[in-house]
Formats: sequence, structure tokens, C-alpha cells
Amino acid sequence: MAGQMRPSLDDPRVAIPADSSWYEPAPTPKTERQAEFLTLREGEMFVNMGPQHPSTHGVLRVIIKVNGEKVVDLDPVLGYLHRGVEKLCENADYHQAICYTDPLEYVSSLFCEAAPVAAFEKLMDVDVPRRAQYIRVLTMELNRIASHTLFQGWMALDLGGITPILWSFIERDEIVDMLAALTGQKLLYNYYRIGGVNGDLNHEFMSRLGTWMSRAAAQIDSNLALINENEIFVRRTRGLGVLDAKTALKMGVTGPNLRASGVPFDLRRDRPYLVYPELEFDVPTRDEGDSLARYLVRMDEIKQSIRIIDQVLHEMPDGPVMAKLPRLLRPRPGRAFGAVEGPRGVYGTYAISDGSDQPFRMRIHDPSFVHLQLVGPLTKGNLIADTMAVMASLDPVMGGVDK
Amino acid sequence: MVWNRLTPAGRALAVLLPILAIGGAATTLLLATFGGVIVATIGANLPIVRFLAASVITFLISVPVAFLLIYMEMKIIALMNLRIGPDRIGPAGAVMSVVHGLKVLMKEDYTPPSVDVPVFTLAPVVVYLASFMTLLVIPFAPELTSMGFELGLLYFFAIGGLGVVGLMMAGWSSFNKYSLLGGIRAAAQAISYEIPLTLSVVGIVILTGTLSLPKIVAAQDGSFLDWFIFRQPLAAIIFFIAITAEANRTPFDNTEADQEIVAGFATEYSGMRFGFFFFAEYVNVFIVSALFSAVFLGGSNPPIHIDLHPQILVDLGALGIGLPLIAGLAPVVGTLLFAAPLWFASTRIKGWQALVGGFLIFGGLSTAAVGIWAFVMLPPVASLIWFLIKTFTLVFTFVWMRGTLPRARIDQLMGFAWKWLLPASLLNIFATAAAVLVAGR
Repeated sequence: MAGQMRPSLDDPRVAIPADSSWYEPAPTPKTERQAEFLTLREGEMFVNMGPQHPSTHGVLRVIIKVNGEKVVDLDPVLGYLHRGVEKLCENADYHQAICYTDPLEYVSSLFCEAAPVAAFEKLMDVDVPRRAQYIRVLTMELNRIASHTLFQGWMALDLGGITPILWSFIERDEIVDMLAALTGQKLLYNYYRIGGVNGDLNHEFMSRLGTWMSRAAAQIDSNLALINENEIFVRRTRGLGVLDAKTALKMGVTGPNLRASGVPFDLRRDRPYLVYPELEFDVPTRDEGDSLARYLVRMDEIKQSIRIIDQVLHEMPDGPVMAKLPRLLRPRPGRAFGAVEGPRGVYGTYAISDGSDQPFRMRIHDPSFVHLQLVGPLTKGNLIADTMAVMASLDPVMGGVDK
Repeated sequence: MVWNRLTPAGRALAVLLPILAIGGAATTLLLATFGGVIVATIGANLPIVRFLAASVITFLISVPVAFLLIYMEMKIIALMNLRIGPDRIGPAGAVMSVVHGLKVLMKEDYTPPSVDVPVFTLAPVVVYLASFMTLLVIPFAPELTSMGFELGLLYFFAIGGLGVVGLMMAGWSSFNKYSLLGGIRAAAQAISYEIPLTLSVVGIVILTGTLSLPKIVAAQDGSFLDWFIFRQPLAAIIFFIAITAEANRTPFDNTEADQEIVAGFATEYSGMRFGFFFFAEYVNVFIVSALFSAVFLGGSNPPIHIDLHPQILVDLGALGIGLPLIAGLAPVVGTLLFAAPLWFASTRIKGWQALVGGFLIFGGLSTAAVGIWAFVMLPPVASLIWFLIKTFTLVFTFVWMRGTLPRARIDQLMGFAWKWLLPASLLNIFATAAAVLVAGR
């Protein structure tokens, strides 16, 4: 005798009454805000977007309360990618902790390593050799370009254009391959070390970089020409999700999103680190604070990054790329905060040492997490399609948000 | 048993042969008895039979057209995206879309619980029916029009508008909020754009005095300066924008905006029911392109009128025994003739390779010769080729737009229809009417 057939929910013959609350179990509200969010007025309904939606940039889940096409209220649900990176770092020694921070923002992972490395170096008072500093600046700016070109493609894709993403992947792939030749790995490079970098510049990297630099500016300009002047693109992003400077500062917004609101704050210039004070570059800003401004600021930053790379290549000194350090690092008890200006904003790491070879506490400040809180205020009252445009222009990466 | 020792093919034959024998005999008997009655009935009801035959033929045409367009879109967008695109199945991946069709045919056709089953099942049928039935009035050539209705244009808009009902049915019955939003968007968009679409051709109706598509095409006879795109440029622009929205193509593909509402009305569909939606979209693109080329681009009229009147008269009967000799020897001689240079060109080419090459060259040349002969001597073929060139240029434009443009927002889309296209089409009507009043047709 075969065992009794149990009815499967995939079986269309199993009727589930449409009027039951099977589909939407009503949650009990825990706060006043949640109670307000959960009450539906006449003509409103919830639309659940994500965590597996085509345009939520990873595993963000957004519950949208809509009235027709209009977004009335919005609730981002986080945590689908939570791995406990901070806790993992506390159980690893200082070298191991760096590679845990790599996958936080997988499109700009060099910045995610640079922040803890900066904090640890402050804890240990290490002097980084000049050549290592130049190499760090060079690789970080390359990674910034990779991240921004990818952003350009995603922004266009979220607005419905399918070609720019594939064009921008040309530049991005070339940079990723270049960095893979230097670091030995794609995407998660694990290249920076406390006191320097892992390995000097090699021939393949330099020849690829030279070839790429000879055409980079023209190629990026042609990519920008695909959508920058496009009437539909401009009309959909201009005046959308306006973020004024005061709110931006209050919300703790950093990076291009802040500079698009007219605040010329850039860690590279205002709290200089590495060899940035010796390099010449502008901090592009816009006053509008809308989605288009956030897009254009990033595109201007690509050009500044190319300028920086050019100077770095001309001024790079010879010398060692690694400071002389003991194999096992035991900093004296203390605390340090290291931060770098990344493509999305300020990446910070706060580390506390208790004198052992592991960080006693480590906290990571991620700009995407801060920027995601803007999605609600910026999209309320707009249409469903605008939610995607605003979210794309804020450029969050869910790996960093959920940590 | 004999049955157990038979191969599957033998079993099939063993079943089929008696059926064929008995069925054939029965059919012969029936035809002999009632043949006269059947022929008389068909003769008496010719319009009905003609309509049924035309419907079946348009249905059979629509499927390969959809396959061709899907392949075109995959390949052209791939080239624009700097990708390779399909390249595995068939020459340059040409059979890929057929395999896609077979794939959706074989996939599980899942009906989610709590959908409104009859409406859910009927929706793709309505959508596909509405798209291929409009093929009936497309004048491929003066001699190749399935149904030359006197009210062809009106029929086109009426049946074409029926497709929206199907999209609404799909959106409403799916029990899914994305589907609902997609269905409502489809209804709003289609209703808004039907109006400028219909109004934009009124100017042409005033000029030609007819709603029949073959007559509108005939009115554009002459050189390309007689095409209505030059006499009604504003109407052509409005019409083009409106058919883009009607066919749900980028930048007006809000009904299935995958970045916003996943797949719109088709979210809950799978298997062949999704395939019908998919096919209907591409058949729609072909149909609106065909309509545009018929109404504005002169349809089957050539751009420049060249009176060839070739007098290639070969009296085949006079050749006598020479005819079978020529027909039999020409391939052999041609193959050898074209194989010889290949054979002498390089020592690395083997004899059989030279022969195959020669045969292919001869085949290509003779096919081209027959094609050119048909183009020159048979007016319907020439008309059809001109019509298809124009139509596929427009199809390419639609694919090009899909590869280039982002999507317009739904409120911009609706505002554009009501605030700009509608007044512009009304202006066009008044201007045309005034011009006709003053200057006559």
C-alpha cells in the first residue's frame, strides 16, 4: 500500500477559498507607525515588491501602499542578506577581519576593505609606504569608476532602457579584469593589508591599464551620450525625489547623494587620507538634489577619477609596498575610527582593541544603509515607477545594508 | 503475438493502414453520393467559405510571422547591445524562436489556485484572436488581400481594440496585484491611444473618400511623392506614436514593465497560455507596421514607377524534345561549369567539394534568376515584396526603439495622448477638411 496521498499546495485541485486570510496574514502592529501603515483607507492596497523583484537591487523588500498608481506609503524590510559580518570580524584576527568586510558592497569592495584597514592602522600607528599609498589611491579610483559605470547601466535599466547596462559593462569588466590581474581575484579582491598592499603592480595590470586609459575617456563619453540627452530619461528623473541640503545633512547622507544636494563634502578633500592632499581634483556638486542631479554628479566623478589616476601614474614613487610588521598584530588597548570616501558615500569602521590579536568590537558604517531610509520620504506621493527611479538614483547595495 | 514483434513504426502502420483504407473508401463513397450537393452549397455560400478559409490562412500565417519577429528582435537587440545573440540552433540561430515556441508548448501550464479559471483561460485566446483577425484586412498586394472589406480601416480598429478586453480579463482574473495593475494600465493606455490613432487617419479618409484599405493603397499609386506620409506628415507622426502605444512597445510598454510590475497582466501565466500573449505581441507589431505601410507608405506600390513590360516570350512548345533536354541538362552543365573554377583554383579543394560548391553556386544563381523573373513578370510578387520591405523596415524601427529608449512613465504617457496627440489630430482633420473644401481633392 502506498502511503496516503497528502494534498500539496501546488496542486490546483486543492481549492483555497479566495476570501480566507490565507494570503495575507494580518500582522499585529507593534508601534503606532506600523498601525498607521497597516490601516488601508478607501481605494488603497499593498503591493509587495521583493525580495525577488527585478529592480530592487538585490534582496530589498519594499511594501508599498498604493492608491491606484500613486504611492501613499512605503515600508522597506531589511535583513534578507544579514550575515553578521561585525560579529564575525570580532572572532577573527586583524588580518582575517579584512576579508570578511570585502563582500559588504560587492561592486566596490576595495572601499569596504580600505575602511577597516585605515582603522586598524590608526590603532597600531603603522606608517604605510608611499608607494603603497599611491597604489591604494590608484586601485580605489579604478573601483570607483567601475562602480559608477555599473550605476549608470542600472539606472537606465530601472527606467526601462536595456542597452546602457551592456555598454557600461564593457568598462566595468575591463576594470574588474585589470584588478583581477593585480590582486588575483575578481570582485572580492582582498588586496589591502595592514601596512600596505598585497603585492606590487605587475606587468599585466600596467599594460591593461595603459590600453584602457588611452580610450577610457572617449568610451565613457560615448556611454554617457546614450542616455544623458535622452528626453524620456531626463523627463523621468528631473525634479523627482528632491532632497534638500538640510534634510540630507540631518539624515546623515554622504557621498554623491549629498553632493547632488549642493553640499560640497568629500572626505578625500575635507578629511584627507593617503596621498589625496597631493593630488589635484574637483569635487563636482549640483544644487537640484533630484534623481538627475544624483546621476550627473556620479558621471562627473568618473571624469575626476580618471584625472586622479592620470596624476597617480605620473607621480608614483619607487619603494616597498608593505611596512615591516610582526606576523601577529597585538595593538595596545584603544579605539580608532577609519573612514574613506567611497562611490556611495563614507565607509567607516570603528574598532576597539583590548590588547589581544582580535578586535574587541568592530562596527561598520555603511552609506547604503543610511541612504535607504530616504526611499520612503522621497517616493511618497509619486508613482510606482518613480520608486524604482529614486531607488536606482540612491544606488544602494543590499550586501552593505544588511551586513 | 505478431503485435509484440513489431517496431513502433510498424505498429503505427498496422493501425493507420486499415483506417486509411476504410476511411478513404468511405470518403470516396460520400463524395460520389453528395459531392454535387457539397459543391453546390459551397458555391451558394461563397462569402462564408471565403471568410473561413481566409481566417484559417491568416492564423497559419501569423505563427511564422511571430517566429520571424521574435528572432529579429533577439538578434538585432543583441547586436545593439554588443552581444552575439542566438547562434546555436539553425544558421545564425534562426530556428531559436521556433524552439522557444516548442518550449512554451511543453512547459507546465499551471493554473494558480483562486484564479477565475474560465476568464483566466479565455484571456490569451481573446488576445491572440484579436491580433490575427486584423491580418484579414491587410492588403499585402492588390491580388493578395484576404478580405477587402469596404470598412476595412474601421474593422481594423474595432477588432484591434478587442485585444484590450483580453488584457483586462487576464489582469482581473489572475488574482495578483501586479496583473491587476498591468491590466488597468493596458486599458487606460489603449483607450487613450485609440482616439488619436483613429482620428489621425480621418484626414486620409477625407482625401480618399473611402475606408477600404485596398482603395487607400490604390490612391497612392504613382511615385513615392504620392504616399500619404508626404501629404499628411502630422497624421503620420501621430499614427506612428499611437501604434507604438497600441502594440505595447517601448517606450510605451507600461503594461508589462518588468522593472515596475514584474510582467504586468502575464505575471501568473505559464506554458502556452503565456506563449499566446507573447506571440500576440509580435503579431501586433507586424500588423501595426503593415497598417502603417499600407496607409502612409503606399503599401504595395513601388517607390518609383518603372514600366518594364519585358517581352521575354519563349514558346516552350516549339522546343519539342529540346525542353526536357534543357531541363535535365541545365543543372548538370551549370554545376560542372561553376565547379571547374573551384577545382582549378586550389589543389587543396577536393573533387567532391568543388562539385558541391558548384551545385550551391548554380542553385543560388538559378533561384535568384527565378526570383527576379517572378518579380518582373508577376505583379503580385513584386507588390508583395515592396509591401514586405516597407513593413519590415518599420518592424526594424520598433526593435531599434526597444533597444534604444527607456520607458515613459504612465502619467507622462497619458498626458501626452490627451494633451498633445488628440488636439494635434483634431487640428490635422480641420486643416485637411479646409484644404479639401478650398482646393478639392
